[in-house]
Amino acid sequence: VWLFLHPELLATYHYNQYVIAVTHLFVLGWILSIIMGAMYQLVPVALETRLYSERLAWWHFAFHVAGFIGMVCMFRVWNMKQVGHFGSGLAFGVGLFIYNIGRTLRRIPKWNVTATAVTAALCWIAFTVTAGLSLAIAKCTYESTQGLAAAGGVRTFVGGLRSVAGFMSRFDAISAMHAHAHLGAVGLFMMLLVGVSYKLIPMFALSEIQNKARAGWSIGLLNIGVAGSFLTILLRSPWKCAFTLILIAALAIYGFELAAILRARKRQALDWGIRYFLTAIGLLIPVAGLAGVLSWPALPLNLFTGQLENAYGFLGLIGVVSLAIIGMLYKIIPFLVWFRRYSPHVGRAQVPSLADLYSHRLQGLGYWAFLSGIAVTSVAIVFSNAIGVRTGCGILMLAVTTLMINAITMLNHLFKPRLKPFTIGAANVSKAA
Amino acid sequence: MNHLTETEILDTLRQVIDPELGCNIVDLGLVYSVSIEDDKVRVVMTLTTPGCPMHDSIRWGAQNALLGLEGVEAAEVEVVWDPPWHPSMMTEFGRAATGVGSF
Repeated sequence: VWLFLHPELLATYHYNQYVIAVTHLFVLGWILSIIMGAMYQLVPVALETRLYSERLAWWHFAFHVAGFIGMVCMFRVWNMKQVGHFGSGLAFGVGLFIYNIGRTLRRIPKWNVTATAVTAALCWIAFTVTAGLSLAIAKCTYESTQGLAAAGGVRTFVGGLRSVAGFMSRFDAISAMHAHAHLGAVGLFMMLLVGVSYKLIPMFALSEIQNKARAGWSIGLLNIGVAGSFLTILLRSPWKCAFTLILIAALAIYGFELAAILRARKRQALDWGIRYFLTAIGLLIPVAGLAGVLSWPALPLNLFTGQLENAYGFLGLIGVVSLAIIGMLYKIIPFLVWFRRYSPHVGRAQVPSLADLYSHRLQGLGYWAFLSGIAVTSVAIVFSNAIGVRTGCGILMLAVTTLMINAITMLNHLFKPRLKPFTIGAANVSKAA
Repeated sequence: MNHLTETEILDTLRQVIDPELGCNIVDLGLVYSVSIEDDKVRVVMTLTTPGCPMHDSIRWGAQNALLGLEGVEAAEVEVVWDPPWHPSMMTEFGRAATGVGSF
Protein backbone atom coordinates (compact mmCIF):
# COMPACT_ATOMS: atom_id res chain seq x y z
CA VAL A 1 0.00 0.00 0.00
CA TRP A 2 2.86 2.34 0.89
CA LEU A 3 4.45 1.80 -2.53
CA PHE A 4 1.07 2.18 -4.25
CA LEU A 5 0.59 5.57 -2.58
CA HIS A 6 4.20 6.64 -3.14
CA PRO A 7 5.37 4.90 -6.33
CA GLU A 8 8.20 7.40 -6.73
CA LEU A 9 10.03 5.50 -3.97
CA LEU A 10 10.89 2.73 -6.42
CA ALA A 11 11.09 5.00 -9.45
CA THR A 12 14.00 6.96 -7.96
CA TYR A 13 17.29 6.09 -6.25
CA HIS A 14 16.91 4.11 -3.03
CA TYR A 15 19.28 5.89 -0.64
CA ASN A 16 16.72 7.92 1.28
CA GLN A 17 14.89 7.57 4.57
CA TYR A 18 11.55 6.54 3.07
CA VAL A 19 12.90 3.69 0.97
CA ILE A 20 14.95 2.50 3.93
CA ALA A 21 11.85 2.70 6.18
CA VAL A 22 9.60 0.81 3.74
CA THR A 23 12.35 -1.77 3.10
CA HIS A 24 12.71 -2.46 6.83
CA LEU A 25 8.93 -2.62 7.20
CA PHE A 26 8.83 -5.19 4.42
CA VAL A 27 11.92 -7.17 5.38
CA LEU A 28 11.48 -7.19 9.16
CA GLY A 29 7.70 -6.96 9.39
CA TRP A 30 6.81 -9.43 6.65
CA ILE A 31 9.71 -11.62 5.58
CA LEU A 32 11.65 -11.99 8.83
CA SER A 33 8.50 -12.34 10.99
CA ILE A 34 7.20 -15.13 8.78
CA ILE A 35 10.57 -16.83 8.42
CA MET A 36 11.32 -16.83 12.13
CA GLY A 37 7.81 -18.01 13.01
CA ALA A 38 8.02 -20.73 10.38
CA MET A 39 11.45 -21.79 11.66
CA TYR A 40 10.05 -22.32 15.14
CA GLN A 41 7.51 -24.67 13.52
CA LEU A 42 9.53 -26.25 10.74
CA VAL A 43 13.03 -26.72 12.13
CA PRO A 44 11.83 -29.24 14.72
CA VAL A 45 9.74 -31.00 12.03
CA ALA A 46 12.40 -30.93 9.34
CA LEU A 47 15.12 -32.11 11.69
CA GLU A 48 13.01 -34.54 13.70
CA THR A 49 13.43 -32.97 17.12
CA ARG A 50 11.60 -30.60 19.50
CA LEU A 51 11.91 -26.85 19.98
CA TYR A 52 14.18 -26.00 22.90
CA SER A 53 11.90 -23.35 24.46
CA GLU A 54 8.50 -22.02 23.47
CA ARG A 55 8.67 -19.37 26.19
CA LEU A 56 11.84 -17.88 24.69
CA ALA A 57 10.07 -17.76 21.32
CA TRP A 58 7.29 -15.63 22.85
CA TRP A 59 9.83 -13.24 24.39
CA HIS A 60 11.57 -13.03 21.01
CA PHE A 61 8.24 -12.20 19.37
CA ALA A 62 7.66 -9.29 21.79
CA PHE A 63 11.14 -7.81 21.21
CA HIS A 64 10.85 -8.36 17.46
CA VAL A 65 7.51 -6.59 17.05
CA ALA A 66 8.39 -3.65 19.30
CA GLY A 67 11.84 -3.40 17.69
CA PHE A 68 10.83 -3.39 14.04
CA ILE A 69 7.85 -1.06 14.47
CA GLY A 70 10.04 1.43 16.33
CA MET A 71 12.81 1.11 13.74
CA VAL A 72 10.47 1.77 10.82
CA CYS A 73 8.94 4.83 12.50
CA MET A 74 12.35 6.22 13.40
CA PHE A 75 13.81 5.53 9.96
CA ARG A 76 10.92 7.51 8.50
CA VAL A 77 11.82 10.59 10.55
CA TRP A 78 15.53 9.74 10.25
CA ASN A 79 16.24 9.65 13.97
CA MET A 80 19.16 7.25 13.85
CA LYS A 81 19.82 7.28 17.58
CA GLN A 82 16.30 5.92 18.18
CA VAL A 83 16.77 3.51 15.27
CA GLY A 84 19.76 2.21 17.19
CA HIS A 85 17.75 1.87 20.40
CA PHE A 86 14.85 0.01 18.76
CA GLY A 87 17.35 -1.94 16.67
CA SER A 88 19.07 -3.05 19.88
CA GLY A 89 15.74 -4.41 21.12
CA LEU A 90 15.25 -6.25 17.86
CA ALA A 91 18.82 -7.55 18.05
CA PHE A 92 18.19 -8.87 21.58
CA GLY A 93 15.19 -10.76 20.21
CA VAL A 94 17.35 -12.15 17.40
CA GLY A 95 19.83 -13.27 20.05
CA LEU A 96 17.04 -15.21 21.79
CA PHE A 97 16.06 -16.71 18.44
CA ILE A 98 19.62 -17.82 17.67
CA TYR A 99 20.01 -19.34 21.14
CA ASN A 100 16.66 -21.15 20.93
CA ILE A 101 17.19 -22.59 17.44
CA GLY A 102 20.85 -23.28 18.23
CA ARG A 103 19.89 -25.37 21.28
CA THR A 104 17.24 -27.10 19.16
CA LEU A 105 19.89 -27.98 16.57
CA ARG A 106 22.02 -29.60 19.27
CA ARG A 107 19.20 -32.07 19.88
CA ILE A 108 18.90 -33.38 16.34
CA PRO A 109 19.60 -37.10 15.99
CA LYS A 110 21.14 -36.99 12.50
CA TRP A 111 23.05 -34.06 10.95
CA ASN A 112 22.19 -33.27 7.34
CA VAL A 113 22.40 -30.58 4.69
CA THR A 114 19.30 -28.77 6.02
CA ALA A 115 20.83 -28.54 9.49
CA THR A 116 24.03 -27.13 7.96
CA ALA A 117 22.06 -24.48 6.08
CA VAL A 118 20.05 -23.50 9.17
CA THR A 119 23.25 -23.19 11.21
CA ALA A 120 24.84 -21.03 8.52
CA ALA A 121 21.71 -18.85 8.36
CA LEU A 122 21.91 -18.29 12.14
CA CYS A 123 25.49 -17.08 11.75
CA TRP A 124 24.59 -14.76 8.87
CA ILE A 125 21.62 -13.23 10.68
CA ALA A 126 23.93 -12.46 13.62
CA PHE A 127 26.36 -10.73 11.24
CA THR A 128 23.53 -8.92 9.45
CA VAL A 129 22.12 -7.50 12.67
CA THR A 130 25.60 -6.53 13.88
CA ALA A 131 26.29 -4.79 10.58
CA GLY A 132 22.93 -2.99 10.75
CA LEU A 133 23.53 -1.75 14.28
CA SER A 134 27.04 -0.64 13.31
CA LEU A 135 25.54 1.36 10.45
CA ALA A 136 23.12 3.04 12.86
CA ILE A 137 25.94 3.78 15.31
CA ALA A 138 28.02 5.31 12.50
CA LYS A 139 25.25 7.80 11.77
CA CYS A 140 24.84 8.96 15.37
CA THR A 141 26.64 11.78 17.07
CA TYR A 142 27.50 10.75 20.57
CA GLU A 143 27.89 13.27 23.33
CA SER A 144 31.38 13.73 24.67
CA THR A 145 32.45 11.29 27.34
CA GLN A 146 34.01 14.23 29.20
CA GLY A 147 32.37 14.67 32.57
CA LEU A 148 31.37 11.05 32.93
CA ALA A 149 32.88 9.14 35.80
CA ALA A 150 36.38 7.95 34.89
CA ALA A 151 35.65 4.29 35.37
CA GLY A 152 31.90 4.48 34.72
CA GLY A 153 30.22 1.81 32.64
CA VAL A 154 28.36 4.45 30.63
CA ARG A 155 31.64 6.17 29.73
CA THR A 156 33.08 2.86 28.53
CA PHE A 157 29.90 2.08 26.58
CA VAL A 158 29.75 5.47 24.86
CA GLY A 159 33.47 5.21 24.14
CA GLY A 160 32.83 1.83 22.53
CA LEU A 161 30.05 3.27 20.37
CA ARG A 162 32.36 6.06 19.23
CA SER A 163 35.01 3.51 18.33
CA VAL A 164 32.52 1.58 16.23
CA ALA A 165 31.40 4.80 14.56
CA GLY A 166 35.04 5.61 13.83
CA PHE A 167 35.65 2.19 12.35
CA MET A 168 32.55 2.38 10.15
CA SER A 169 33.60 5.79 8.82
CA ARG A 170 36.30 3.97 6.81
CA PHE A 171 33.61 2.62 4.51
CA ASP A 172 31.31 4.63 2.31
CA ALA A 173 27.74 4.67 3.58
CA ILE A 174 26.03 3.33 0.45
CA SER A 175 28.40 0.38 0.10
CA ALA A 176 27.98 -0.48 3.77
CA MET A 177 24.18 -0.35 3.38
CA HIS A 178 24.33 -2.57 0.28
CA ALA A 179 26.62 -5.05 2.05
CA HIS A 180 24.26 -5.22 5.05
CA ALA A 181 21.18 -5.73 2.83
CA HIS A 182 22.88 -8.35 0.66
CA LEU A 183 24.13 -10.26 3.68
CA GLY A 184 20.60 -10.53 5.08
CA ALA A 185 18.89 -11.28 1.77
CA VAL A 186 21.31 -13.96 0.58
CA GLY A 187 22.91 -15.17 3.82
CA LEU A 188 19.66 -15.56 5.70
CA PHE A 189 16.75 -15.69 3.26
CA MET A 190 18.33 -17.56 0.35
CA MET A 191 20.25 -19.89 2.64
CA LEU A 192 17.04 -20.92 4.41
CA LEU A 193 15.07 -21.15 1.19
CA VAL A 194 17.64 -23.53 -0.28
CA GLY A 195 18.34 -25.51 2.89
CA VAL A 196 14.76 -26.01 4.07
CA SER A 197 13.52 -26.87 0.57
CA TYR A 198 15.92 -29.84 0.54
CA LYS A 199 13.64 -31.27 3.24
CA LEU A 200 10.22 -29.88 2.35
CA ILE A 201 10.10 -30.37 -1.43
CA PRO A 202 10.89 -34.11 -1.19
CA MET A 203 8.35 -34.37 1.64
CA PHE A 204 5.54 -32.69 -0.32
CA ALA A 205 6.35 -34.22 -3.72
CA LEU A 206 7.09 -37.69 -2.33
CA SER A 207 10.68 -37.79 -3.45
CA GLU A 208 14.14 -37.65 -1.90
CA ILE A 209 17.47 -35.89 -2.34
CA GLN A 210 19.12 -37.44 -5.38
CA ASN A 211 22.73 -36.42 -4.76
CA LYS A 212 23.76 -35.45 -1.21
CA ALA A 213 27.19 -34.23 -2.33
CA ARG A 214 25.58 -31.91 -4.89
CA ALA A 215 23.24 -30.52 -2.21
CA GLY A 216 26.23 -30.03 0.09
CA TRP A 217 28.17 -28.18 -2.59
CA SER A 218 25.29 -25.79 -3.16
CA ILE A 219 25.23 -24.85 0.53
CA GLY A 220 29.03 -24.64 0.77
CA LEU A 221 29.39 -22.40 -2.28
CA LEU A 222 26.48 -20.27 -1.09
CA ASN A 223 28.36 -19.65 2.16
CA ILE A 224 31.59 -18.74 0.35
CA GLY A 225 29.66 -16.43 -1.97
CA VAL A 226 27.83 -14.72 0.91
CA ALA A 227 31.04 -14.04 2.86
CA GLY A 228 32.98 -12.88 -0.21
CA SER A 229 30.14 -10.72 -1.53
CA PHE A 230 29.76 -8.99 1.83
CA LEU A 231 33.42 -8.01 1.97
CA THR A 232 33.76 -7.05 -1.69
CA ILE A 233 30.56 -4.99 -1.71
CA LEU A 234 31.65 -3.24 1.49
CA LEU A 235 35.10 -2.47 0.06
CA ARG A 236 33.83 -1.68 -3.47
CA SER A 237 36.24 -4.31 -4.72
CA PRO A 238 36.24 -5.46 -8.37
CA TRP A 239 36.40 -9.04 -6.97
CA LYS A 240 32.69 -8.64 -6.26
CA CYS A 241 32.11 -10.11 -9.71
CA ALA A 242 33.96 -13.33 -8.81
CA PHE A 243 31.86 -13.93 -5.71
CA THR A 244 28.67 -13.18 -7.66
CA LEU A 245 29.68 -15.96 -10.04
CA ILE A 246 30.22 -18.28 -7.06
CA LEU A 247 26.71 -17.44 -5.81
CA ILE A 248 25.27 -18.07 -9.26
CA ALA A 249 27.14 -21.40 -9.42
CA ALA A 250 25.73 -22.35 -6.00
CA LEU A 251 22.19 -21.57 -7.13
CA ALA A 252 22.70 -23.39 -10.44
CA ILE A 253 23.81 -26.51 -8.55
CA TYR A 254 20.76 -26.10 -6.32
CA GLY A 255 18.59 -25.84 -9.42
CA PHE A 256 20.05 -29.06 -10.83
CA GLU A 257 19.42 -30.91 -7.58
CA LEU A 258 15.89 -29.52 -7.27
CA ALA A 259 15.14 -30.60 -10.85
CA ALA A 260 16.48 -34.09 -10.08
CA ILE A 261 14.34 -34.29 -6.93
CA LEU A 262 11.27 -33.29 -8.92
CA ARG A 263 12.02 -35.73 -11.75
CA ALA A 264 12.16 -38.55 -9.20
CA ARG A 265 8.94 -37.53 -7.47
CA LYS A 266 6.19 -40.07 -7.00
CA ARG A 267 3.42 -37.50 -6.72
CA GLN A 268 2.96 -36.22 -10.24
CA ALA A 269 0.45 -33.45 -9.52
CA LEU A 270 2.05 -30.36 -7.98
CA ASP A 271 -0.33 -28.23 -5.93
CA TRP A 272 -0.42 -24.43 -6.06
CA GLY A 273 1.73 -24.08 -2.96
CA ILE A 274 4.59 -25.96 -4.64
CA ARG A 275 4.00 -24.08 -7.91
CA TYR A 276 4.35 -20.75 -6.10
CA PHE A 277 7.60 -21.95 -4.57
CA LEU A 278 9.07 -23.34 -7.80
CA THR A 279 8.13 -20.18 -9.71
CA ALA A 280 9.96 -18.15 -7.06
CA ILE A 281 13.02 -20.33 -7.61
CA GLY A 282 12.64 -19.78 -11.37
CA LEU A 283 12.70 -16.02 -10.79
CA LEU A 284 16.22 -16.47 -9.48
CA ILE A 285 17.30 -16.57 -13.13
CA PRO A 286 16.56 -12.88 -13.88
CA VAL A 287 17.78 -11.96 -10.39
CA ALA A 288 21.08 -13.76 -11.03
CA GLY A 289 21.34 -12.02 -14.41
CA LEU A 290 20.90 -8.62 -12.75
CA ALA A 291 23.43 -9.58 -10.05
CA GLY A 292 25.95 -10.39 -12.79
CA VAL A 293 25.39 -7.02 -14.47
CA LEU A 294 25.48 -5.02 -11.21
CA SER A 295 28.69 -6.63 -10.01
CA TRP A 296 30.51 -5.91 -13.27
CA PRO A 297 33.55 -3.76 -12.30
CA ALA A 298 33.27 -1.40 -15.30
CA LEU A 299 29.57 -0.64 -14.73
CA PRO A 300 28.99 3.14 -14.83
CA LEU A 301 27.37 4.66 -11.74
CA ASN A 302 24.49 6.46 -13.42
CA LEU A 303 20.73 6.81 -12.91
CA PHE A 304 19.97 3.69 -14.95
CA THR A 305 22.33 1.61 -12.81
CA GLY A 306 20.54 2.90 -9.72
CA GLN A 307 17.22 1.74 -11.16
CA LEU A 308 18.72 -1.66 -11.96
CA GLU A 309 19.73 -1.87 -8.29
CA ASN A 310 16.14 -1.07 -7.29
CA ALA A 311 14.83 -3.75 -9.67
CA TYR A 312 17.37 -6.25 -8.27
CA GLY A 313 16.22 -5.65 -4.69
CA PHE A 314 12.54 -5.66 -5.68
CA LEU A 315 12.76 -8.87 -7.71
CA GLY A 316 14.88 -10.57 -5.05
CA LEU A 317 12.78 -9.67 -2.03
CA ILE A 318 9.31 -9.66 -3.55
CA GLY A 319 9.68 -11.85 -6.64
CA VAL A 320 11.77 -14.60 -5.11
CA VAL A 321 11.57 -14.50 -1.32
CA SER A 322 7.95 -13.35 -0.92
CA LEU A 323 6.55 -15.66 -3.61
CA ALA A 324 8.38 -18.58 -2.03
CA ILE A 325 7.05 -17.59 1.39
CA ILE A 326 3.47 -17.38 0.08
CA GLY A 327 3.87 -20.86 -1.41
CA MET A 328 5.08 -22.22 1.90
CA LEU A 329 2.35 -20.34 3.79
CA TYR A 330 -0.19 -22.31 1.76
CA LYS A 331 1.39 -25.38 3.32
CA ILE A 332 2.01 -24.09 6.84
CA ILE A 333 -1.25 -22.25 7.68
CA PRO A 334 -3.56 -25.16 6.72
CA PHE A 335 -1.35 -27.51 8.72
CA LEU A 336 -1.45 -25.33 11.84
CA VAL A 337 -5.21 -24.76 11.59
CA TRP A 338 -5.90 -28.44 10.88
CA PHE A 339 -3.64 -29.58 13.69
CA ARG A 340 -5.34 -27.32 16.23
CA ARG A 341 -8.97 -27.82 15.13
CA TYR A 342 -9.22 -31.26 13.54
CA SER A 343 -6.42 -33.32 15.05
CA PRO A 344 -8.46 -34.34 18.16
CA HIS A 345 -11.34 -35.53 15.92
CA VAL A 346 -9.37 -37.91 13.68
CA GLY A 347 -10.88 -41.38 13.92
CA ARG A 348 -14.05 -40.03 15.56
CA ALA A 349 -15.53 -38.07 12.67
CA GLN A 350 -14.78 -37.25 9.04
CA VAL A 351 -12.27 -34.40 8.95
CA PRO A 352 -11.29 -32.34 5.89
CA SER A 353 -7.87 -32.64 4.28
CA LEU A 354 -5.48 -29.66 4.27
CA ALA A 355 -6.41 -28.88 0.66
CA ASP A 356 -10.09 -28.60 1.64
CA LEU A 357 -9.43 -25.63 3.93
CA TYR A 358 -9.05 -22.91 1.27
CA SER A 359 -10.10 -21.87 -2.23
CA HIS A 360 -7.92 -23.22 -5.04
CA ARG A 361 -9.48 -20.78 -7.50
CA LEU A 362 -8.35 -17.82 -5.38
CA GLN A 363 -4.93 -19.42 -5.07
CA GLY A 364 -4.66 -19.57 -8.86
CA LEU A 365 -5.90 -16.01 -9.28
CA GLY A 366 -3.38 -14.83 -6.69
CA TYR A 367 -0.57 -16.64 -8.50
CA TRP A 368 -1.21 -14.97 -11.86
CA ALA A 369 -1.88 -11.58 -10.25
CA PHE A 370 1.40 -11.81 -8.34
CA LEU A 371 3.40 -12.67 -11.45
CA SER A 372 1.73 -9.89 -13.46
CA GLY A 373 2.35 -7.39 -10.66
CA ILE A 374 6.01 -8.39 -10.44
CA ALA A 375 6.50 -8.07 -14.19
CA VAL A 376 4.79 -4.66 -14.50
CA THR A 377 6.50 -3.20 -11.43
CA SER A 378 9.97 -4.47 -12.40
CA VAL A 379 9.80 -3.00 -15.89
CA ALA A 380 8.43 0.29 -14.49
CA ILE A 381 11.24 0.46 -11.93
CA VAL A 382 13.92 0.01 -14.59
CA PHE A 383 12.43 2.85 -16.65
CA SER A 384 11.71 5.10 -13.61
CA ASN A 385 8.01 5.11 -14.44
CA ALA A 386 6.00 6.01 -11.33
CA ILE A 387 2.61 5.28 -12.98
CA GLY A 388 3.82 1.83 -13.96
CA VAL A 389 5.08 1.21 -10.41
CA ARG A 390 1.68 2.24 -9.05
CA THR A 391 -0.11 -0.04 -11.53
CA GLY A 392 2.15 -2.98 -10.72
CA CYS A 393 1.76 -2.46 -6.97
CA GLY A 394 -2.02 -2.27 -7.45
CA ILE A 395 -1.95 -5.70 -9.11
CA LEU A 396 0.26 -6.99 -6.31
CA MET A 397 -2.30 -5.71 -3.80
CA LEU A 398 -4.91 -7.85 -5.59
CA ALA A 399 -2.63 -10.86 -5.19
CA VAL A 400 -2.11 -10.11 -1.50
CA THR A 401 -5.89 -9.75 -1.10
CA THR A 402 -6.44 -13.28 -2.44
CA LEU A 403 -3.92 -14.57 0.08
CA MET A 404 -5.64 -12.69 2.91
CA ILE A 405 -9.09 -13.98 1.93
CA ASN A 406 -7.75 -17.52 1.82
CA ALA A 407 -5.97 -17.01 5.15
CA ILE A 408 -9.23 -15.80 6.73
CA THR A 409 -11.06 -18.77 5.19
CA MET A 410 -8.52 -21.12 6.73
CA LEU A 411 -8.57 -19.41 10.13
CA ASN A 412 -12.37 -19.53 10.07
CA HIS A 413 -12.12 -23.31 10.51
CA LEU A 414 -10.85 -22.62 14.03
CA PHE A 415 -14.24 -21.17 14.93
CA LYS A 416 -16.53 -23.12 12.57
CA PRO A 417 -15.08 -26.60 12.07
CA ARG A 418 -16.54 -28.74 9.29
CA LEU A 419 -16.95 -32.19 10.77
CA LYS A 420 -19.13 -34.97 9.36
CA PRO A 421 -20.13 -38.24 10.99
CA PHE A 422 -18.60 -41.47 9.73
CA THR A 423 -20.49 -43.24 7.02
CA ILE A 424 -19.78 -46.77 8.34
CA GLY A 425 -18.97 -48.41 11.66
CA ALA A 426 -20.34 -47.78 15.10
CA ALA A 427 -19.64 -44.45 16.77
CA ASN A 428 -18.92 -45.84 20.18
CA VAL A 429 -16.06 -43.38 20.72
CA SER A 430 -16.56 -43.05 24.45
CA LYS A 431 -14.14 -45.93 25.00
CA ALA A 432 -11.38 -43.89 23.37
CA ALA A 433 -11.63 -41.09 25.90
CA MET B 1 -17.87 -64.86 20.50
CA ASN B 2 -16.32 -62.08 18.42
CA HIS B 3 -16.92 -61.91 14.68
CA LEU B 4 -14.51 -59.10 13.88
CA THR B 5 -12.75 -59.55 10.56
CA GLU B 6 -9.66 -57.95 9.06
CA THR B 7 -11.85 -56.47 6.33
CA GLU B 8 -13.99 -54.70 8.94
CA ILE B 9 -10.89 -53.35 10.65
CA LEU B 10 -9.44 -52.07 7.36
CA ASP B 11 -12.76 -50.50 6.37
CA THR B 12 -12.79 -48.69 9.70
CA LEU B 13 -9.22 -47.50 9.25
CA ARG B 14 -10.23 -46.10 5.85
CA GLN B 15 -12.02 -43.38 7.83
CA VAL B 16 -8.64 -42.03 8.94
CA ILE B 17 -6.94 -39.77 6.41
CA ASP B 18 -3.47 -38.36 5.99
CA PRO B 19 -4.56 -34.70 5.72
CA GLU B 20 -1.57 -33.63 3.59
CA LEU B 21 -2.17 -36.27 0.92
CA GLY B 22 -5.94 -36.24 1.32
CA CYS B 23 -6.23 -40.03 1.24
CA ASN B 24 -6.99 -42.67 3.86
CA ILE B 25 -4.17 -44.56 5.56
CA VAL B 26 -5.19 -47.98 4.17
CA ASP B 27 -5.15 -46.98 0.52
CA LEU B 28 -1.92 -45.07 1.14
CA GLY B 29 -0.38 -48.41 2.13
CA LEU B 30 0.48 -47.21 5.61
CA VAL B 31 -1.15 -50.15 7.41
CA TYR B 32 1.30 -53.07 7.54
CA SER B 33 -0.61 -55.65 9.58
CA VAL B 34 -3.77 -56.25 11.57
CA SER B 35 -4.17 -58.87 14.27
CA ILE B 36 -7.38 -59.65 16.13
CA GLU B 37 -7.52 -61.52 19.40
CA ASP B 38 -11.01 -61.73 20.90
CA ASP B 39 -11.98 -58.10 21.51
CA LYS B 40 -8.44 -56.76 21.18
CA VAL B 41 -7.05 -55.34 17.94
CA ARG B 42 -3.41 -54.61 17.15
CA VAL B 43 -2.38 -52.59 14.10
CA VAL B 44 1.17 -52.07 12.87
CA MET B 45 1.50 -49.11 10.57
CA THR B 46 3.95 -46.50 9.30
CA LEU B 47 3.83 -42.91 8.07
CA THR B 48 5.01 -41.41 4.81
CA THR B 49 8.05 -39.76 6.38
CA PRO B 50 9.88 -39.99 9.72
CA GLY B 51 9.31 -36.86 11.75
CA CYS B 52 5.91 -36.41 10.11
CA PRO B 53 4.16 -33.63 12.05
CA MET B 54 0.91 -35.59 11.84
CA HIS B 55 2.48 -38.57 13.62
CA ASP B 56 0.46 -38.43 16.83
CA SER B 57 -2.75 -37.24 15.15
CA ILE B 58 -2.82 -40.16 12.73
CA ARG B 59 -1.83 -42.76 15.32
CA TRP B 60 -4.43 -41.54 17.83
CA GLY B 61 -6.95 -41.24 15.00
CA ALA B 62 -6.44 -44.87 14.04
CA GLN B 63 -6.80 -45.91 17.66
CA ASN B 64 -9.98 -43.84 18.08
CA ALA B 65 -11.49 -45.33 14.93
CA LEU B 66 -10.78 -48.88 16.13
CA LEU B 67 -12.21 -48.23 19.58
CA GLY B 68 -15.31 -46.84 17.90
CA LEU B 69 -15.92 -50.19 16.23
CA GLU B 70 -18.51 -52.40 17.91
CA GLY B 71 -16.89 -55.39 19.59
CA VAL B 72 -13.48 -53.74 20.10
CA GLU B 73 -12.55 -53.17 23.73
CA ALA B 74 -8.83 -52.51 23.34
CA ALA B 75 -6.82 -51.21 20.42
CA GLU B 76 -3.08 -50.88 20.05
CA VAL B 77 -1.50 -48.96 17.17
CA GLU B 78 2.24 -49.27 16.72
CA VAL B 79 4.12 -47.00 14.28
CA VAL B 80 7.22 -48.58 12.76
CA TRP B 81 9.79 -47.29 10.24
CA ASP B 82 11.04 -50.61 8.97
CA PRO B 83 10.26 -51.32 6.21
CA PRO B 84 10.13 -47.66 5.17
CA TRP B 85 7.00 -46.61 3.32
CA HIS B 86 7.17 -46.34 -0.44
CA PRO B 87 4.48 -45.09 -2.85
CA SER B 88 4.48 -48.52 -4.54
CA MET B 89 2.66 -49.77 -1.41
CA MET B 90 -0.40 -47.69 -2.31
CA THR B 91 -3.55 -49.22 -3.80
CA GLU B 92 -4.82 -48.16 -7.20
CA PHE B 93 -7.41 -46.00 -5.43
CA GLY B 94 -4.69 -44.37 -3.34
CA ARG B 95 -2.58 -43.59 -6.41
CA ALA B 96 -5.53 -42.08 -8.19
CA ALA B 97 -6.51 -40.01 -5.15
CA THR B 98 -3.03 -38.60 -4.61
CA GLY B 99 -1.88 -38.22 -8.19
CA VAL B 100 0.94 -40.73 -7.76
CA GLY B 101 2.01 -42.50 -10.95
CA SER B 102 2.00 -46.27 -11.36
CA PHE B 103 5.03 -48.53 -10.75
